Amino acid sequence: MELAQVRYFLALCHTLNFSRAAEQCSVTQPAFSRAIQRLEEEFGGALIYRERNLTQLTSLGREMRPHLQAMLDAAEAAQAVAAARRQTVAGSLRIGLGPGVGAGAIAGVVAEVLRVFPATELHFTEAASGSLADAMLVDALDCALLPEEAPLPERLNRWLLYTEVAMLVCPAGHHLARLNICTARDLVGEALLVGDACGGFGRKLVESCDAPVRVQQCRGAAAQILELVAAGLGVALLSNRLSVGANLATRKFTEPELSRRIQLAAVAGRPHGPAASSFIKLCRAQAFS
Amino acid sequence: MLPSTEGRLVALSEELAKGPVVLSFFRGEWCPFCKLMAEALAEAALRIEACGAGILALTPETGALPQKLRARHGDRFTVLADVDFGVGLLAGVVFKIPPLYRARLEASGLDFPHRQGNSAWCLPVPAVYVIRPDGVIGWRFADVDFARRPEPDEIVAALERL
Repeated sequence: MELAQVRYFLALCHTLNFSRAAEQCSVTQPAFSRAIQRLEEEFGGALIYRERNLTQLTSLGREMRPHLQAMLDAAEAAQAVAAARRQTVAGSLRIGLGPGVGAGAIAGVVAEVLRVFPATELHFTEAASGSLADAMLVDALDCALLPEEAPLPERLNRWLLYTEVAMLVCPAGHHLARLNICTARDLVGEALLVGDACGGFGRKLVESCDAPVRVQQCRGAAAQILELVAAGLGVALLSNRLSVGANLATRKFTEPELSRRIQLAAVAGRPHGPAASSFIKLCRAQAFS
Repeated sequence: MLPSTEGRLVALSEELAKGPVVLSFFRGEWCPFCKLMAEALAEAALRIEACGAGILALTPETGALPQKLRARHGDRFTVLADVDFGVGLLAGVVFKIPPLYRARLEASGLDFPHRQGNSAWCLPVPAVYVIRPDGVIGWRFADVDFARRPEPDEIVAALERL
């Protein structure tokens, strides 16, 4: 397929009118129709019903539209990003972080975006997955890192990035810090700080095993949980990708091993600025170890 | 501008500032002919570099797959992820996989939506371009028969002719 054909098809999706779409693309209608026809030959079926008053996409046309839009966006972004770099345009990169998702895993990617676009303003928002999805839909965020199990609207594209496992966090001088590996049995008698806003590992543990762990419900983000652990209120299970201060110890947690997968989400078919589109591409092309 | 396996954003213009570029489209880490092509390119890397040229390999695959393609050949050339076929579309080498071929690929267990991060079921023609430092294409090879690839000697000869 050719770039022009894809442009023509998307213009046609927009106008549902051959002559107006041809005019929009500054091309004669016969040339426009031939280009669409050749695209249909390649795809092996009609993309659009040509009925006088009812020009509309066929199911093949509807199926291909978002993919061709993504390709055209990628093609335009590849060029626009190079152009934006020459002009050092100031832009923003607005990233949402789901419950208990740290920015540590993507710090390297963010650093590369800033190397290429030094004038970029960074925004991080920590919130529940549903609020982040809403924020993306109203264009208050470019993309978000969310746990895989979060239900998301159809309009969001999602790509799995990495898996994170639970680690035990306790004060550095705590007796559990003397262990190499911590299990559910070691937590018996300990106060476990559990909150949905910090990754849900504690809740998963309580649901999946019957070890008598003392649960302390705590509606706070991971940062607050870490402060409470440091203050001696209990221990917590958090993502192994969070970094903690020197006053805290982290230990591998097994039996049961608790894990979750983190995905990147962004609104399908929405053009992003150079910094955001570079960030999304870098994340998708990265082998997170 | 595309992401490399090292997590860097690589611009063609910056590579061209260093010298000519051999730009090679790959179908993916799964394709046996691409493996042979990658081997041939890795073997010819010294001769290509001797012409002052760099090699850019583009793959539509994402995640850890581009790194796998690169590591297998001793990291002898730069592998870039052409996420969502953007550069492939600019070059006009992307095609929609016909239903019969798609069925065969699916039967062999290839999950393209997962590998490429989109469900378009497209592939690039494995074309190779020799691009002059001024951005003009000095030589190209493109064959819809994915088994046919250019000989490294042809690429080196094209570089020497520039």
